[in-house]
Parts: sequence; structure tokens; C-alpha cells
Amino acid sequence: MPGKPFDVSLGIRHLVCGSCNGCEHEVNALGAPQYDSTQYGYDIVASPRHADVLTVTGPMTEAMRDPALATRDAMAEPRIVVAVGDCAIGTGAWCNAGSAGAGAGGELDAEVHVPGCPPTPDAIIRGLHEAARLLDLRAGRKR
Amino acid sequence: MPLRAMQRDGRLLGAFADAERRHYLGLVDGAIRDVQLSRDGQSMAAEFPMLAIDEREMVEQYGISLDGLPKDLVVEGRGLTTFVVGPVHAGIIEPGRFTFHSGGESIVHLEAQFGFSHRGVESFLEGRDAVASAWHVARICGGCSVARSWSYARVLESFHALAIDEASEFARMICAELERAYNHIFDLGVAAAGAGYGFGLTRALELKERFARINARAFGHRYLFDAVLPGGIRAESLNDRRALRSDLRALRDDVEKFAEQLFGHHELMSRFSRAGVLPYETAVAFGAVGPALRASGGTFDVRCDASYGRYAQISPIRATAHDGDVASRVRVKYDELRESMRLIDVAFDELGDRPIPLPQHVRAIAGDGSAMTEGPRGAEILSLRTDQQGRVQRLHVISASYRNWPLVTRAMEGNIVPDFPLVNKSFNLCYACGDR
Repeated sequence: MPGKPFDVSLGIRHLVCGSCNGCEHEVNALGAPQYDSTQYGYDIVASPRHADVLTVTGPMTEAMRDPALATRDAMAEPRIVVAVGDCAIGTGAWCNAGSAGAGAGGELDAEVHVPGCPPTPDAIIRGLHEAARLLDLRAGRKR
Repeated sequence: MPLRAMQRDGRLLGAFADAERRHYLGLVDGAIRDVQLSRDGQSMAAEFPMLAIDEREMVEQYGISLDGLPKDLVVEGRGLTTFVVGPVHAGIIEPGRFTFHSGGESIVHLEAQFGFSHRGVESFLEGRDAVASAWHVARICGGCSVARSWSYARVLESFHALAIDEASEFARMICAELERAYNHIFDLGVAAAGAGYGFGLTRALELKERFARINARAFGHRYLFDAVLPGGIRAESLNDRRALRSDLRALRDDVEKFAEQLFGHHELMSRFSRAGVLPYETAVAFGAVGPALRASGGTFDVRCDASYGRYAQISPIRATAHDGDVASRVRVKYDELRESMRLIDVAFDELGDRPIPLPQHVRAIAGDGSAMTEGPRGAEILSLRTDQQGRVQRLHVISASYRNWPLVTRAMEGNIVPDFPLVNKSFNLCYACGDR
């Protein structure tokens, strides 16, 4: 099971689709020593080409729809999309506002959903553990 | 009052449109004045360049036609290279698109294109109960939520001529200064990261997390959403004052130790100095606010110059610097952070053991007004007009980031391309409150 140090590694690309920045506070906090997501082998990477997991925030905006799809499709398979925060899940403040969608997670076929406004760093790490488990299943790995 | 007189006697703040007319906001004698012009007509941006983005927004979103609106600059010539970055970036940041025109390593011109986070928040709230909309207003932008909520509360309270009790006002001040503190400590970290100093970022993230935990204990939310409410402050705020103060003292000491390491790092400081210079004249012409203005020799601070809450009683000390470079902006933010810690301490002293009352009931009624609060990045302005049933007719946000973004592009001119992250992060502006 993921959770033990260096049991698994994930390259994570983060994508903002109309978030208020609150979720970005918490994704940034994964790098703080109190959480240090690299202890699990989870690392934020610079390009979707390097990523196993796409974390997305926000309700999705009209202007981000094409870049967001292009970013997800640039990732190699198998890949997992994690919807971070209430907006991405579809229950947040700006879902279905005039130029917003019903949640970036839904539009990008997210398989893991982390609620919260914003979700705590611990909750996001739980979501990443779940993404790691799904990737293992997909690759036929047993741990 | 014509705009020229408003600029001469006070300070032009920005502009927006509604279905009937254009509104130009300015601060005169500590009060916000709204100069109204016909819907279509002459652009004001030729005389006041800061208004170019406001008027462009009127044209794009309200279909207004303006004569003399400045046109896009066409940059071309031998030896120029043009390249585009964004809207998807390599870091954990919001979306924006930057077009660089460079000659060799030097940036000749930088264009910033925004709107990728445009959700349509203002039109979404039209027709909704104005008081109930406070929850949404707190979520327009996560980096300046307290400042915006406070502006919103003050507008709604002004409709009733409602006075807020002293204890709630001091609690609001503590809340707003905590917001400034957690933002500024993060800004010091990302500026260090912009110069490749990873330790600086890690240390700042550690300190920011401690602020987030104190925020949650003090006001019920790690980033202080929904703490400042119309009529007062969230119930059960600041319950454990003794423990909070002791933790804040320990945090302040560690912030000072971190600052000694940061400002004592000669290689880092040599990267910071003379990078991304924003001259005073440019800052003023484009209406810069907040630390971006005060690091270029300006002094304007809403807490001092259009005081609200209990700030007049405590008199914040303005942080200023004159070089307008990355070093000055980082220095001003650190000085402000220290001053925030002092203001929090004084506010706790004033508050003593007094209980904080529950928020007063505020009913949404008809009204029209604006309020301005000093957020971490400068003046956070909010204008609201409601109908007879107290529903939002027009809500407009002019954020400090919106005002300051054009200056980031100016500060980059003549700098080398690899310094963009450094210069950009020395401002560290939000996108969500500008895009809306």
C-alpha cells in the first residue's frame, strides 16, 4: 500500500482552471516541512509529459478549457486526474457561473475527488495515495 | 468633479461600467468619489494610462464604444525574438499568458494576457441577496479574502449607517493583519525561490503553515475565509487569546531569524538588487498600490490615508523604500510583516479579555456605495449597488493585483529573460481577483 516511504513515486502536474487560489495555498503547502509530500515519493513536476497524476482545481473556465484538455492529453497513459477542492468537484462557489463550467474534475474525467474549500494538505495527500493505488491497479502491480 | 481635478487633489482608483453609464472612482479627502460619464464617449486612458485596462474591460464586457482607447503596441524589428509562455505554467500558480519580445537575453517588451480565471463572478451575483452573497465574495480570490470581505461588509454596513463595536473592530484588524502576514512570508519565500534559493522557500512554507494553523484556531479557517462578516466577525473568534499570543510571539521570533538569514545572504541580495526596477513616475502613472508602490518611493496606504476600523487609533507605520527593485519590494514586505505583528499585539492589548459580540443582523436593503481596504497587495476596492429588495444590481471589484499587473510588465523591460520569475514573484500578484 502507498503511504510507506518511497513505496511508490508519483510525478504530479498541477493545473488551475479558475480556482480562487485557496486550493493553490494548500497544494503549495505539500512542500512545507510539516507535510513534505516527497517523503511518499510524490513530486510536483514541471511538465505534463513527466506526470502520472494531474491535480486540477477550479470550476473550469471557458478560457482554460482547451489548454486544460491539451495538458491532460499530453500525459502518458496510465494517468489519473485528481479533482482538488469543491469547485473542481462541482459543488464550489463559482460552479456554473456565467463563464464557468460545472467543475474541472468532471470535464477532465477525474477519478479521485478531494472535497474542501480548500481541502487540507492532509486531505490532498489522501487523494494522492488513492491515485497511486489506482495507478498500481491499472498497471497490474501488487504491493 | 472632472478626473483631472480628482487626480490633482486626490488619487484616481479605477473605473467600471454598468448598463447605463461609466463610473470613475477616486479618493478625495479620505472618501471615495464616483464620477459618472455617459456610456459611450471619449476614452480617459490617453490622459490617464492606468485606466487602459479598466476601459478595455468596459468595451469587452459591456459593449461600450470609446473613442481614443490606446491600441495594442505592435513590436517588431530585426533581431527580435518573440516567445509565449502560458497559460499552463511549470509551478503551482494561476493561469496567465506572457508574450516576451526579446533582443538576445534582454526583454524589450512584455505583454501579459489575462482572463483565464474569468468565471463571471460579478454577473453571477446579480439578482442575488446582497448579504447572502458575502460567502461568495469571500471566495472571489483566496489571497485577499479578508480585505475583500471587509470592504464588502463596510459597504453593506454603510447602507444601514451601522456602527461596529470596538471589540469586533479589533478582531477584524487582527484578522486582516494575519492575512497580510501569511501572504508576505510566502512572498519572501517565492522571491528567494525566484533566485534559486530553495532553502528560503522551504523555510517560508514552514512559517506560512504555522500562520495557517493559527488562522484556523483564531478565526475558524486556515486562510480566514468568512471571518469578517457583514455586521461583525465570525462567532467564537479569538477564543484562546493567551495561547494564540504565545504562539504568535514564537512565530514572530522565528520569522526574524529567517529574515536575518535571507537579508544576510549576499549572493541572494546581489540578485535582488537592481533587478526589475519600477521607477516612481511609472508606478504613479499606472496607479500602483500596496507594497509595489511603496517600494518605488510612494507612500499611499489605505490604513493611513483613508482609515477605517480602528486603524486611526493605532496608526500603522508605513513601510517605504526608494529603489523600486526586487530588493526594495522584498524589504517593504518584510517591514510590513513586522509591523503587522506589532499591530496584532497592540490590538490584542486593546481587546483584553473583552468578549466579542455575535455579528449584528444586517438585512439587505437598497443602497449604492464603495469601500476600500488595504489588503496584502494594496487597495482592495469594492463597489455595490442594490435594488429595493436588497438584491445585487451591480457589484464591481477593483483589486490591487488588477492595478499592479501592468507594472510587472514595465518592470521587466531591459531585464534578462531568466529574471522573469524573480521579478514576477517580487510582486506575487493574484490572477483570480483581477480576472473575476
